[in-house]
Amino acid sequence: MSTTLQEQIASPERGVKKNYLNADHTIASWLLTTDHKRIAVLYLVSISIMFFIGSIAAAFVRFELTSPYGQWLTSEQYNKMFTAHGVVMIFFFLIPSVPAVLGNFVLPMAIGARDLAFPRLNLLSWYFFVIAAVLMLATLAMGGIDTGWTFYTPLSSLYSDTQVTMALVAAFIAGFSSIFTGLNFVATVHKMRAPGMTWFRMPLFVWGSYATSLVILLGTPVVAITLLLVLFERVFKIGIFSPELGGDPVLFQHMFWFYSHPAVYIMILPAMGVVSELFACFSRRRVFGYEFVAFSSLGIASLGFLVWGHHMFLSSQSVFQGVVFSLLSFMVAIPSAVKAFNWTVTLYKGSVHLTTPMIYALAFLGLFLIGGLTGLYLASMDTDVHLTGTYFIVAHFHYVMVGGGILGFLGGLHFWWPKMFGRMYSEFWGRLSALIVFVGFNFTFFPQFMLGYLGMPRRYHLYAFAPEWQFYNVLSTAGATVLGVGFLLPAFYLTASLVKGKKAGPNPWGAKGLEWENADSPPITENFERIPIVTGQVYDYDAEEDSRLIRAELDDHERRDKAHLPGEH
Amino acid sequence: MAAHAHAESIEDSVYFQYETLEQQQETYILGMWAFLLTEIMMFGALFLAYTVYRFQYQRDFFIFHEQLDWKLGGLNTVVLLSSSFSMALAVHYHQIKKKAATLWCLAFTNLCAFGFLAIKSIEYGEKFKHHLFPNDSFVWDAALHGGNPEHARIFFSLYFVMTGLHGIHVLIGILVITTLMVLIAKNHRLITDYIPTEMVGLYWHFVDLVWIFLYPLYYLIPK
Amino acid sequence: MSTNTDTQDHGAHAHHVTPIGKLAATFGFLLFMMALTVVAARLPLDMPDTFGWLSPYFFVTNAIALGIAIAKAVAVVRIFMGAKYASKLIKLYAIGGFIWFTQLFIMFFDYGTRNWEEVRGWEKVPSSSLPRNRDSDAGIPYPVYPGSHAGSEMSGTSEASGEAGSGH
Repeated sequence: MSTTLQEQIASPERGVKKNYLNADHTIASWLLTTDHKRIAVLYLVSISIMFFIGSIAAAFVRFELTSPYGQWLTSEQYNKMFTAHGVVMIFFFLIPSVPAVLGNFVLPMAIGARDLAFPRLNLLSWYFFVIAAVLMLATLAMGGIDTGWTFYTPLSSLYSDTQVTMALVAAFIAGFSSIFTGLNFVATVHKMRAPGMTWFRMPLFVWGSYATSLVILLGTPVVAITLLLVLFERVFKIGIFSPELGGDPVLFQHMFWFYSHPAVYIMILPAMGVVSELFACFSRRRVFGYEFVAFSSLGIASLGFLVWGHHMFLSSQSVFQGVVFSLLSFMVAIPSAVKAFNWTVTLYKGSVHLTTPMIYALAFLGLFLIGGLTGLYLASMDTDVHLTGTYFIVAHFHYVMVGGGILGFLGGLHFWWPKMFGRMYSEFWGRLSALIVFVGFNFTFFPQFMLGYLGMPRRYHLYAFAPEWQFYNVLSTAGATVLGVGFLLPAFYLTASLVKGKKAGPNPWGAKGLEWENADSPPITENFERIPIVTGQVYDYDAEEDSRLIRAELDDHERRDKAHLPGEH
Repeated sequence: MAAHAHAESIEDSVYFQYETLEQQQETYILGMWAFLLTEIMMFGALFLAYTVYRFQYQRDFFIFHEQLDWKLGGLNTVVLLSSSFSMALAVHYHQIKKKAATLWCLAFTNLCAFGFLAIKSIEYGEKFKHHLFPNDSFVWDAALHGGNPEHARIFFSLYFVMTGLHGIHVLIGILVITTLMVLIAKNHRLITDYIPTEMVGLYWHFVDLVWIFLYPLYYLIPK
Repeated sequence: MSTNTDTQDHGAHAHHVTPIGKLAATFGFLLFMMALTVVAARLPLDMPDTFGWLSPYFFVTNAIALGIAIAKAVAVVRIFMGAKYASKLIKLYAIGGFIWFTQLFIMFFDYGTRNWEEVRGWEKVPSSSLPRNRDSDAGIPYPVYPGSHAGSEMSGTSEASGEAGSGH
C-alpha cells in the first residue's frame, strides 16, 4: 500500500520491546490489571463468548422458522430462544461492544492520555460485566426467560413463571457495568486530553464515545430502577405497574423505553465514530464537515432521549403525544443523515483503499442507510400501525444494530487490531469474510422486510396459517448460515494472526491520530514514551499526495516486473 | 493541635495517568458529579412514578400519608441535615489539614447516619405491625381510614421503595464514611489529599438532598 | 465558632475552602426552611378544591412545599457541595443532572392528553371487572363498551371470553 507500510515492514526488528502485552505474564496480572488496554482485551474475550452464545440462540430461532408448522421447538422453548438471543446480544454484546472494547483501548490513546481517569473503576466495570454475564448464563441454564428482552409488564411481573427475577438482576448489574465505563469516558475526555488536544482536534470516534457516555449516564439508571421495580413487583406484588391495583403498565413502557431507545444510540453512536475514523483513514481525507459530524453525535444523543414514545404508538399512550414523538423521531433522521452525507462526501476525491476495515465501513454506510430509512416508515404513526410487531421491525433494527453496530465494531476491530496486538491479519481472509458478512447479512434480513410487509408477526414460530411465508423464511435462514460463517471466520484468522501474522509497525495504515503516530504497536503500558503535544489539525491527510505515492509505487512495480525482478506484491 | 503533627504525613501526590494535582483533583470531583448524575436519574425515575400516581390518586394519597409520622420524619430531616453540616465541616477541616477535627466530624456524621437508620427502623416497624408493608400480609382498612385499598398498596409500595432505596444509600454512606475514617486515621496511602473526603461529602450531601424532597412528598401531603 | 479560617497558613491551596461561618449559616437556613415547610403544610388553609389538581389550594400548597424543597436543595448544592465555588465544567454537570431529570416529566404530556380522544377499549374499568379477576366476584358482568362489537359478543359467554382475555 503506502510507503509507510513498506518502510515499516522492511525496517529491521529492534528485538522484543516491552509492551502492555508482555509486561507481565501471570494470570493475576491480567485479572487485576488496571491498564485500559488489558481491560479492553478482557472485554473482547468476554463479549466474544457472549456473542457466540447469542448467535446459537439465533440459530435455533432461524432453524425453527424454516418450517411453518413449528416442528422442532415448543412455543415456550421458542419464546425462550428469542429472548435469550435478544437479552444476550443487547445487554452483553452490543452495548459493551464498541465502547468497552474499542473505546477502552483507543480512547485514552486517541486523546493522548496515559490511561482512563479512573483505572480501578474500569476494572470494576469489567467485573460487574462478568458477574452479570455469569448470572445471565445461569438464568439461561436454569430454564431461561420468555418475556422478550423488553421485559414488558404485566407478563414479566405477574404471569411469567420463568427465571425473570434472576435475569432482571443480571440486567441491573450489567447496567452498572456500562455506567462505570461511561463515567470513566466522560471524565477522561473532559480532563485528560493532551496539551493542544482541543475539542475540535479530537477524532470523531472520541466524540462518538463521549456522546454515548452521556447517554449511558443519563439513561441507564432509569432502566436500572425500572427493572428493580419489576423485580419488586414479582416478589412483593407492589402494584406500581400492575393494572389490577390501579397501576399503569404503560408507565413501565415509558420508563423502559426512556432508556432503551437511547440504548440503540449507545449501540450505534460509537460505531458511527469508528466508521468516521475508517472513512478518513482509507480515503486519505479529513472527514468532510468534521464539526457537523461531531455535533451530530451530540445531536443524536440528545434528540434520542425525546423519541422513546415511537415504540409505544400501539400502547394506550395518548395519540397526541404519539404525534409529537413521531415528529421528533423524524428529526433524529437529520443528524443521522448529516453523518451519512458527510461520509459519502469524504470519499469524493479521496484516495480510497479497499482494505478490510474500509469494506466494513462501506457496508456500514449502505446498511445503516437502509436501516435508517426504514426507520422512518416506523416513525410515522399510520404505517407503524401496520408494521409494529411484524418482521419489518425485526429487519429494521437488525439493519441498524447488525448492519450498523456489529459491522462498525468489526471494522474498528480490524482497524485497530495491529495496534492492539502488533500483528497484521491475513488481508485476503479479512476481505473475504467482510464480503461474506455483507452478502449473508442482506440475504438474512432483506427477506424479513418482505415478511413484515406481508404481515408476518414477530415472535411467532408457527405460521401454518400462511405457508407462503416459508419461502422468505428459508431464504433468511440460508442467509443467516452464510452470515454465521462470515462472523466465525474472523475468530480464526484473527487468532491465527496472533501467532503467524506479520509484525505490524506503529502505523501500518499510515493513519493519523495520536495512537498511530505517537505510540508503538502494541503500545507500552504507559501508552506513550512522553505525552504528545498536539499542534496539527485532526485527520491531517493528504489524498493527492497519497494517490501520487500509490501511482509511483505502481509504476515502480511495473518497472520491476519489466526488469524481471522478484516483486513483493 | 494534634493535626499539626500529622500535617506532613498527608502529602499531595499524583497518580501516573495525571499530569498535575489540579487535574487529578478536578477529575475526581467531576467523576463524582457524573456519578451523582446517574443517581439523580435513578431517583428521578422513582419521583416520576410517584408523581404519576400522586396526580391520579391525590385524595387517596392524603389519606394514606396520615399513616406516616411527620414528627419522626421531621426529626430524621434534622438528623440528616446535621450530618450534612458536619460532613461539610469534615471537608473544611480536611482541606486545612486538621486531621483530628476531620475525624471527629466524620464520626458525628456517622452517628447521625445511624440515628437516621434507627428512627427509620422504628417507622418501618410500625408499618410492619400495622400490615402496611406491601407483601402478602398487606391490609388496608378502608372502612376505618377510607381510601382505595389498591391504591394504598401503590402508595406504600412507592414509600417503601423510595425510602428503602434512600436507606440503602445511607447504609452505603455509613460503610464508606467508616472506611474513610479508618484510612485517614491510619494515614493510608490512598488518602493523599482532601479529595476522598470531598467525594464522600458529595455523596452524602446527595443522600441528604434526596431526603429533602422525600420528606414533604411523603410526610406533608396537603389535603 | 464562626471564625473566618485563614487559608494562607496552609500552603498553596487553589481550592476554595468554605468558611465555617458560611456553612453554619447554610445549616441554619436549612433548619429554618425545614420548620417552614412543616408549618406551611399543616396550615389550615381553606381554599376551594373543585378543580382537582388545578385547584388553588392544591396548587399553592404543593408549590410551597416543592419551592421550599428546591430552595433547600439549591443551598445544599451550592454551599455544602461547593458547586458555587467550582469550575464551570463542574457547575455544568451539577446543574445538568437536575435539568435532565425534568425531561422525564415529558411523560405527563401522555397522561394529560390520554383522555382527549376516546379510544375504544381503553376506558378505565374497575379492576374487579377485568377478566382475570372475575373468579372472586362472578356477579359483575363483563364490561360492555359502548359500540364495541367484541363486547356485545362476549357479554353472553362470559366464561369463554374470560379465558380468551387472560390467555395473553
